[in-house]
Amino acid sequence: MTDGSGDAGGAPGDAAEDGGTTPGDASDAADGDASSAAARTARDRAERRILPALAAGTVLLLAVLFYYPVGTVLVEAVRVDGRYTLEVLVGVLRDPFYLGDLAGLFAGESPLAVAGRLLGPDRRLGIVGFTAYQAALSTLASVALGLPGAYVLARFEFPGRRTLRSLTILPFVLPSIMVAVGFVATFGDDGTLNAALSAVGLPTVDLLFTLEAVVIAHAFYNAPLVTRVTTAAWESVDASAVETARSLGAGPFRAFRDVVAPQVYPAVLMGAALTFVFTFGTFPIVLALGGFELATVEVFVYRLIRNLEYAEAAALAIVELAVSLGLLYAYLRYEARHTVRSRGVRPLPRHRLLPASPSFGQALVRVGVAAYALVALTVFLAPVLSMLLASVTGPDGLTLEHYRFLVERQRTGAAFQVRPWPAVRNSLLFGVGALAVALPMGVVVAVLTTRDYRGRKLVDAVAMAPLSISGIVVGLGLLRGLVFGVEVWGTRIAVGGALAVVAAHAVAGYPFVVRTVGPGLDALDRSLVESARALGASRARALLDVELPLVRPGVVAGAAFAFAISMGEFSATVVLATGTEQYTMPIAIERFIGRRLGPATAMGVVLLLVTSASFVVIDRFGGETGGL
Amino acid sequence: MGSEDRPGGDGAAPDDAPVAVELDGVSRRYGDTTAVSDVSLRIREGEFFTLVGPSGCGKTTTLRLIAGFEAPDAGTVRLGGRSVEGLPPEDRNVGVVFQNYALFPHMTVGENVAYGLNFAEPPGGLTREERVRELLELVDLPGMADRDPDELSGGQRQRVAMARALAPGPEVLLLDEPMSALDAQLRERLRAQVKAIQRELSITTVYVTHDQEEALAVSDRVAVMREGTPDQVAPPRTVYRRPATRFVAEFVGDNNVFEGRVEAVEGHVEPSDQVDRNIHENAPHGVGSPVETEGSVGGAGNAESGTDAAITAVDVGETVARVRAPGDVAVGDRLSFCVRPENLRILRDAEEDGRDPANVLRGSVASAEFLGETTRVRLSWGDRELVVRTTDPLSGTISVAFDPADAHVFAHERR
Amino acid sequence: MSNRRLDRRNFLTAAGATGAAALAGCTAPGESGDGGTDRLVVGTYSSFIDAPSTSPGAWLKETFEEEFDAELVWQTPDNELNYYVERRAAGVDISADLYVGLNTDDLVRVDGELDEDLFVAAGDVAGTDDVREGLDFDPQGRAIPYDTGYISLVYDGTEMEAPETFEGLLEEEYRGDLIAQDPSGATGRAFLLHTVHRFGEDGYLDFWEDLQANDVRVLGSWEDAYAAWSGGEAPMVVSYSTDQVFAAGEGANLEEHQIRFLNDQAYANPEGMARFADASNPDLAREFMSFMLRPDVQGEIAQRNVQFPATDTAELSEDYAELAKEPPEPVTFTYEELQGSVSEWVDAWERQFAGN
Repeated sequence: MTDGSGDAGGAPGDAAEDGGTTPGDASDAADGDASSAAARTARDRAERRILPALAAGTVLLLAVLFYYPVGTVLVEAVRVDGRYTLEVLVGVLRDPFYLGDLAGLFAGESPLAVAGRLLGPDRRLGIVGFTAYQAALSTLASVALGLPGAYVLARFEFPGRRTLRSLTILPFVLPSIMVAVGFVATFGDDGTLNAALSAVGLPTVDLLFTLEAVVIAHAFYNAPLVTRVTTAAWESVDASAVETARSLGAGPFRAFRDVVAPQVYPAVLMGAALTFVFTFGTFPIVLALGGFELATVEVFVYRLIRNLEYAEAAALAIVELAVSLGLLYAYLRYEARHTVRSRGVRPLPRHRLLPASPSFGQALVRVGVAAYALVALTVFLAPVLSMLLASVTGPDGLTLEHYRFLVERQRTGAAFQVRPWPAVRNSLLFGVGALAVALPMGVVVAVLTTRDYRGRKLVDAVAMAPLSISGIVVGLGLLRGLVFGVEVWGTRIAVGGALAVVAAHAVAGYPFVVRTVGPGLDALDRSLVESARALGASRARALLDVELPLVRPGVVAGAAFAFAISMGEFSATVVLATGTEQYTMPIAIERFIGRRLGPATAMGVVLLLVTSASFVVIDRFGGETGGL
Repeated sequence: MGSEDRPGGDGAAPDDAPVAVELDGVSRRYGDTTAVSDVSLRIREGEFFTLVGPSGCGKTTTLRLIAGFEAPDAGTVRLGGRSVEGLPPEDRNVGVVFQNYALFPHMTVGENVAYGLNFAEPPGGLTREERVRELLELVDLPGMADRDPDELSGGQRQRVAMARALAPGPEVLLLDEPMSALDAQLRERLRAQVKAIQRELSITTVYVTHDQEEALAVSDRVAVMREGTPDQVAPPRTVYRRPATRFVAEFVGDNNVFEGRVEAVEGHVEPSDQVDRNIHENAPHGVGSPVETEGSVGGAGNAESGTDAAITAVDVGETVARVRAPGDVAVGDRLSFCVRPENLRILRDAEEDGRDPANVLRGSVASAEFLGETTRVRLSWGDRELVVRTTDPLSGTISVAFDPADAHVFAHERR
Repeated sequence: MSNRRLDRRNFLTAAGATGAAALAGCTAPGESGDGGTDRLVVGTYSSFIDAPSTSPGAWLKETFEEEFDAELVWQTPDNELNYYVERRAAGVDISADLYVGLNTDDLVRVDGELDEDLFVAAGDVAGTDDVREGLDFDPQGRAIPYDTGYISLVYDGTEMEAPETFEGLLEEEYRGDLIAQDPSGATGRAFLLHTVHRFGEDGYLDFWEDLQANDVRVLGSWEDAYAAWSGGEAPMVVSYSTDQVFAAGEGANLEEHQIRFLNDQAYANPEGMARFADASNPDLAREFMSFMLRPDVQGEIAQRNVQFPATDTAELSEDYAELAKEPPEPVTFTYEELQGSVSEWVDAWERQFAGN
């Protein structure tokens, strides 16, 4: 530098005088083109306001589309006939039907006595306890099934790997009725699995309408989640860290344990925590594949709301929310303490799935991968293929009748009936819209919750509330809070229609972005952002130029989840859509369910195809994760 | 501030240069711990100023307060004479180099260096490309623009980080332990380069290091920090020769610290120039302001009387030492003083006779570290240790002696 | 986000464009439109107007509009009748003139929840006299039945012969053979009520205990249950006695779609229509109700909704009469019997069946 600092002696001071809105190096720009300097200033102004503006927008959106509507329902737990009371809530807590032996605690029994009974042979879990129990089992199953998938996707190179990774979260969008159809066809008495088992002379299994079937179905939905987030974390492990460990004498296993595992397993834990929360709030799939004996909390929330017993429903929903948020909070506290600082830019090199001349160890690993592939094919592919098959099967064998129905409905359906093409179009539009809203929302919340301040994990947990709350409560809340509207100064302000649907989808999807982007941002070296800012970048610019490119795998994963949530969303859409013009594919599927499921499965296949294509596009658009 | 103690040379800021960075009563707390406590500093334009101290002393926080990464809980930071309160880092026109360099791993070297030029016109009417080339040449990395940071050595990364920080032409360069990740040899070479670049650009530089040797080597002035506050702010020579506190005495270089009660005051001597010159730059920890304001700031005991000094006999336990102490010293007062290892002269047996017995210390060799030019020897002396420097191999029991004038009194506690 | 506070003119445009009324917004339905055409907004459940097989909605709309020079707008909120209960409770305009698809227990539930009336007495509706004996379920004369269904067992005759009585279901040979639904849905509830009817308030839980011990599957929705049954998971399912109408329509083997009336009974589930208390077009609503009871319309509703007509004057094809089975002895609970009891019966059943 020869004259850079000399002639700009007062620059910092000038900026200070201008109240911090002028960039500090205005004097440098002064000898450049004045209009470009003005444009730069305007851009800078916009840039530095964008994060606060986005944060404010996020809060507003959450307040209008989530907290207020949900509040209108939950408040009924404590307000009965215009009077505030804890009676109902306490009543639920003391009801052994709901809380099992734990209800004793709230009824004033000693914790010791309660613990004694819980440990005894005649323990009673209650609906809440059972729901947690099946959620825990489902979580274990999802991790067991999802983790090897992440290993294969992150560590091996094979044709179609990227496409496969793009498609991992496909199960997320499938309506439960579709999954039920696929499961009955796969795991039922006359299903594919039993046919295969008896073909090779093995005893058949009676899986359906058991807890096992429900757990497997939950794994079908959630193992992909574990896989996706873990793959993203695994791909972010910096190869040089592993190489350093190896150069220090660590064997491959030791290097994995000391370097890779600490960076991967927070993601596994996150997948597990989210899986627990989702399966804790499970509803239709339990009744479709298990039966009423396995009824969960959400089943009763639904039942009570349908029966207009709002107080008890709200109380139960609060208990449900407390358990889910409590677990998420515990997880987030843990995550905060176990963040691994890393700056992974060069991902680990992948192994070829089929090496030319494998060593014994390599061969052993491949055998394991093959065994896993077989399990994955059974659990994931078989039900999906069964759905496909169901969509082309009629009473007299193979038929395109169901697809013909879709075409026919599209051509001749009445205006008040749901037609396939508008549903596809709306789903895509809402999905893209929701993605465009959820991504900045999630990133902003991730930024806010990775800053250091007291209680930030509490904020983070509260920001996760849309994942943890009963979907039925959200639906009712949106109806009351938005569709019916609020009376302000004698005018009723009601909200509905396409934009409301997009916003609701974004609210439902943004927590995924937070969860997939947040830990990555947290793990980034803070000095990277500070360097950028010292170089003149606004906070928003630093985020865009430096942080987001470095956590790209997380951003792409979050985007895919947000899109998937939008594609699969039902309860909010059906409440907010103002007519068939705004109906989406899941609604079309529901409408096409009849005595025979052919038309619905055909629509389901359309959903699958459209969503698959979208996922591939999102991943391609997002670039090779980690490759940069 | 005297010129003699300045490393001098054309790059150093003249005394009358305007203040570039000023901290005025700045504090920063994190929860219950105070990272920076009531710090006041003035750094002049073109000065190479170093914050040195052990980890947790608040030096990095002080740097971050200047950069704007942290906001003070109290006090004011001024850049170029104006308060920068509420001004975000991007508007402070500072260049920062971090310990880990924080190069953007997804950008090439050239893109890294050019990044700041997205937000400021390149100085001197250059194009971006010209500016990047100029900077890479300045840090001796010509033609490396297309490399990935991944492909560079540690020293090269450090230099890219320098180039990046300098590219937009900042007013102040802030360096946060930029050498600590490098090996010793490279560190020495690079600090010379950093110093040379600083001189060439005459850029105000605030340098943070835990390495006192590095601090003494490169700085125009040094602030030795402890528990959030500078114990002493002075040119390197002053800090070395006349440490203001026991902490500074022990932190900066090897030292032998003694403490004891004044037995007798044996006569006053004319104060040397040197003592006088340094007094107002010295401030004991927690007393007054360490800023080199004119007038008395409560120096090493003789500040009030100012001028004269006395040879004093001090009982330091094993022996009674004769040291030159502040003139107002009285029998019964407690004094703390230090003697640098190089001022502890090793006596041949013959020399012992006839010497002032008070300043001869006998101890047995406990350990010796061969440092090349010299050997650092630790002597067991009573229940404590003395450090001496020697060029000859030593063993067994030896005697060392020091001149009363080489003892520096840094604490004086009146009876 | 669009503010859906539409004025009347906008509303008409929007409704005209979509065909189905906007569910959001505050509107005054039923008023005379610009062209002097009357508008009637009818709330119903979605499969009444939009089912993959057949539904009466389109035919009714077309016929009614043609004959009455009025516009008929269907509303199908997702939570069906509860949507209007919510609107009433929130103090928002009901936005529809009448509701089609009320059950007895719906009426009991609504009356229990709301202090003010949601519906009003039908008044003088032509054709009411033709409604068959025993179907009229509203003692206050608000709801008029327009069709009825019978909940019975459907079984695969190629696999088994279903038992003839409830007690038969408890036999070992039928272990695990029955799929039912939970009482949140209409069929599940009807089947549960049938057991209460059969065994009494004090006996039905014991019956269910034995049935559970005999491995009955109680799934969620009728769709879940029917899909599982179709998939061969069990040979018997609780469904409708009109099952063969669909089966024949698909060309399926009717042997696989046998109907069993346990104890020669089936639980009758009449569906009614009622006018909202603040209907903006009460006269047209009344005309619509008598239209619905007309013999030709009754025949069409029955066949298109695959139910039985509510009147004895309905014009039905012979094929239909042959395939749609009617029980020798339809049973049902009256409004008074259900009032104050139904929710306790369901509650007790749930607590027993799902108790952990």
